[in-house]
Amino acid sequence: MSLLGIPILTFIAFFPLAGLPVLLALPGARKTAIKVTAIAVAAVELLATLYLLVGFVPSNGDMQFVERADWIKAVHVQYLMGIDGISLVLILLTSLLTLLAVVSSWKAVEHRLKEYYLFLLILETGMIGVFVSLDLVLFYVFWEVMLVPMYFLIGIWGGERRLYAAIKFFLYTLFGSVMMLVGILVLYAHYHTFDVPAILQTGSLLPAALQTWVFLAFFLGFAIKVPMFPFHTWLPDAHVEAPTAGSVLLAGVLLKMGTYGFVRFSLPLFPEASRKFVPLIVGLALVSIVYGALVSLMQKDMKKLIAYSSVSHMGFVTLGIFTFSPMAVKGAVLQMINHGISTGALFLIVGIVYERRHTRLISEFGGLSARMPVYAAVFLIITMSSIGLPGLNGFIGEFMILMGAWTVNPLWAAVAATGIVLGAAYMLWLYQRVMFGKLENPANQALKDLSLRELATFIPLIVLAFWIGIYPKPFLNLLDKPVEKIVRIVNPDYYKAADASLVPAANEDRR
Amino acid sequence: MESTAAMAAGLTYLRPEIALLATAALGMFAHLFLKRHGARIAGYVTLLGLLVAADIVFLTPLSPAAGFFGGSLTADRFAFYFTIIFLLAAAMSVGLAFRFFEVQGFEAGEFYYLLPLALIGMTAAVSSTDLIATYVAFELFAIPSYILTGIFKKESRSSEASVKYFFLGTLSSGIMLLGMALVFGLTGETRYAEIARLLPGANARIALIGMILVFAGLAFKAALAPFQMWAPDVYEGAPTPIVVFLATASKAAAFAILIRLMVAVFAPFHASWTQIFQFLAVVSMFWGNLAALVQTNIKRMMAYSSIAHAGYVAIGLAAWGEGASIAVLFYLVVYLFMNAAAFSLVLLVRKDDGFGESVDDLRGLARRSPLAAASVLVVLLALTGIPPTAGFLGKYLVFLAAADKGLILLVAAGALNSVISLFYYFRIGRAMFMEDPAGEAGEKPAFPVLAVLVVSAAVLLVLGLAPSFLMNFAASAALK
Repeated sequence: MSLLGIPILTFIAFFPLAGLPVLLALPGARKTAIKVTAIAVAAVELLATLYLLVGFVPSNGDMQFVERADWIKAVHVQYLMGIDGISLVLILLTSLLTLLAVVSSWKAVEHRLKEYYLFLLILETGMIGVFVSLDLVLFYVFWEVMLVPMYFLIGIWGGERRLYAAIKFFLYTLFGSVMMLVGILVLYAHYHTFDVPAILQTGSLLPAALQTWVFLAFFLGFAIKVPMFPFHTWLPDAHVEAPTAGSVLLAGVLLKMGTYGFVRFSLPLFPEASRKFVPLIVGLALVSIVYGALVSLMQKDMKKLIAYSSVSHMGFVTLGIFTFSPMAVKGAVLQMINHGISTGALFLIVGIVYERRHTRLISEFGGLSARMPVYAAVFLIITMSSIGLPGLNGFIGEFMILMGAWTVNPLWAAVAATGIVLGAAYMLWLYQRVMFGKLENPANQALKDLSLRELATFIPLIVLAFWIGIYPKPFLNLLDKPVEKIVRIVNPDYYKAADASLVPAANEDRR
Repeated sequence: MESTAAMAAGLTYLRPEIALLATAALGMFAHLFLKRHGARIAGYVTLLGLLVAADIVFLTPLSPAAGFFGGSLTADRFAFYFTIIFLLAAAMSVGLAFRFFEVQGFEAGEFYYLLPLALIGMTAAVSSTDLIATYVAFELFAIPSYILTGIFKKESRSSEASVKYFFLGTLSSGIMLLGMALVFGLTGETRYAEIARLLPGANARIALIGMILVFAGLAFKAALAPFQMWAPDVYEGAPTPIVVFLATASKAAAFAILIRLMVAVFAPFHASWTQIFQFLAVVSMFWGNLAALVQTNIKRMMAYSSIAHAGYVAIGLAAWGEGASIAVLFYLVVYLFMNAAAFSLVLLVRKDDGFGESVDDLRGLARRSPLAAASVLVVLLALTGIPPTAGFLGKYLVFLAAADKGLILLVAAGALNSVISLFYYFRIGRAMFMEDPAGEAGEKPAFPVLAVLVVSAAVLLVLGLAPSFLMNFAASAALK
């Protein structure tokens, strides 16, 4: 499939860069033109990614729209792109959240606009690139390219401690990535290719000892990105200081790259090591779930609260992945989307009051529902989505992860479930403190409710939250085949047992 | 004895050197005899001469495998590759010198004709396949370097740097000469090919000592730790255009001599020098990067950074093989552009009656000159080793070669060093993009400086995205 004669994946990966020359050509004073350009580019990009759905065949578990060319022939680096259902949903999430981030910046960012939108669009290319790359070096290139614009978004348009937060973010994630690079090189020394599907095709695994080390190298890169306890300390700083759009993309997309890395690379490339490290990783995931939730309870700053809640939610995703049961892995991927929707929306919500009041302290607010009824309704829906109320998206993902975890080890499910309870506690308490009570702070008297533009940024997210919550099947259909393929590699026993009892494996899938 | 005809034939391979010599002579006459603007005209003569020499390099045939002048020099693709590097470095240096002297209000015409003389030494050094020719050529580029370092007479730092460089440089070439003497004593030969034939039968311990001494002398020129102590002082004190030349061409020349010796003479000692380079690589990377963390003067910071980068090259030497031979040559070209740009940063901002050399002087550059700031950003990304720049690919190729040889810990050390280096490189990025200018808005960057920065950034980006051309070139030039 192609768009304007360009192969579709190349098109969606690089189209955001098409906005760069236009932005550069516009004089800095023409602010509206700059904003409109950025919105137009992001909107076209969203349409282009939606166009993927036209040609995509969900029943096909292989990589689709594959593009292959030599890039650096001497060292076997290829320009290799392709997507399956897992990449597809994440790509759609990315293009949607980027558009919303761009729209939400309309009033929030007023200085150095050109650079701001430039960096946002470069960031989008990096993010999409990560999800379409199947050659490890190409993947690594996009993975790193993404760091630079985010560093500047935090460092230039961030809050008071932005310089510190920006370099901390950059250093932590670069450390993880270079360790991953070492792993990639060791992998190459063994296979003499960077082509992931080709490596999987051979079916030969790294020797056990080597597999352990390479797995750990990749794990470090991904775990810092997720971030898992104890690698999470960069996250609260980065989130709190980042501008709203930066937080939305950081929480909505960048964190997903860690768990995407687990699913796409760690599990299929290093199945033995993945199994070996289940106790450690699940342990860390459970600690992340409970620790993140407990720390969230303590926060006075709304953004920090949501940042720590991300640690907790992403712990769920990691848990789901490392149960190796198809239902939980599907739930985990779905939960990545859900977290992108709900946390992305929560950061937008905080951004709205921050834009009006220039504070994010919970104690500064209270009783806002009286002045901002629409805002209150949106906030409520998103809160419910975040805590997993049945009928909304969060419930489906968490339920599938817990079900899967329960079949492997009920204790895991039990510990994880406390995270849900705590999650309800900190979110509802946050809602109560901000929205209910008397409107006592005089500074809040004149607060304006959502404008149409602001409301528009929430509508797609709310629609998706209900859609996934009520009728998740179209999304799960996309995930069935690729997840099965991965689970067959990492946990072949699961399907053996299912096949032996003559009960179709679809048993699990038909929820 | 060589016949006159053979000598004349040998001269055909020396056409680039002859062109450079003519350039130096013309420049000198221009400087001495033209009353007005003599120095500046000498500069234009040199720039033109470099251009002509570059053309001639492409027109000069490769010599037969046995070399010429009785086998003491050779004109192979390896020498050709490095000659191009030297000419590029010299051209950037001259361009920057125009700006430097203009601001300092003092034009040292000697600079313009000492530079081609040093170039002759370098091209001869990378072509030489004979110990005596190597040593003479080595001194031929070392001595003009000492003078060039001290050429800025009104600045005491410059004189101090020159004296330091001279003493330590002479010491190191003495050490190298001692090593060469040992090798000569063992074999009774000065030609590489003959030595390589005789050395395996000689006393291995003395041969090893000889090799280590020779390598130590060259490691000094390449500023590999622990032979790096002169570099920060000299780079900080010397006039910036000269630093650009020393930090790129002079280092590349040292690495070229090192590679030829490794391959053509000391190949039987592969196991030993692999370990030596691993040691040098690790010490250089950590020393360079950790020391750079605390610097506020850009020249000093970049001096340490260049020590660290020499360490990355040494990873390639330690992992020597087909992959590494290409990787190292690729890296040296990348290195040339990264460091030329890194040092020319200092010439961006005027301060008092000179240039602002501190990181803080770059504050707010992104507002004043977005083009310069964007170019510097690309250079910083390349220095750190972040894609899609050639700095990433250079490191990647070197690491790949090392991983292929099983030197995983060395690769991990190199990767870790990228992270350390990020911290100080992006102090510059932060100053340019995230901090407000301290005083009044400065002037726009001058053309030569901007040109070096923009060209370097463009080259680094293009090589990062489409490296195959240079990699093929490097593959054809690599010594196997």
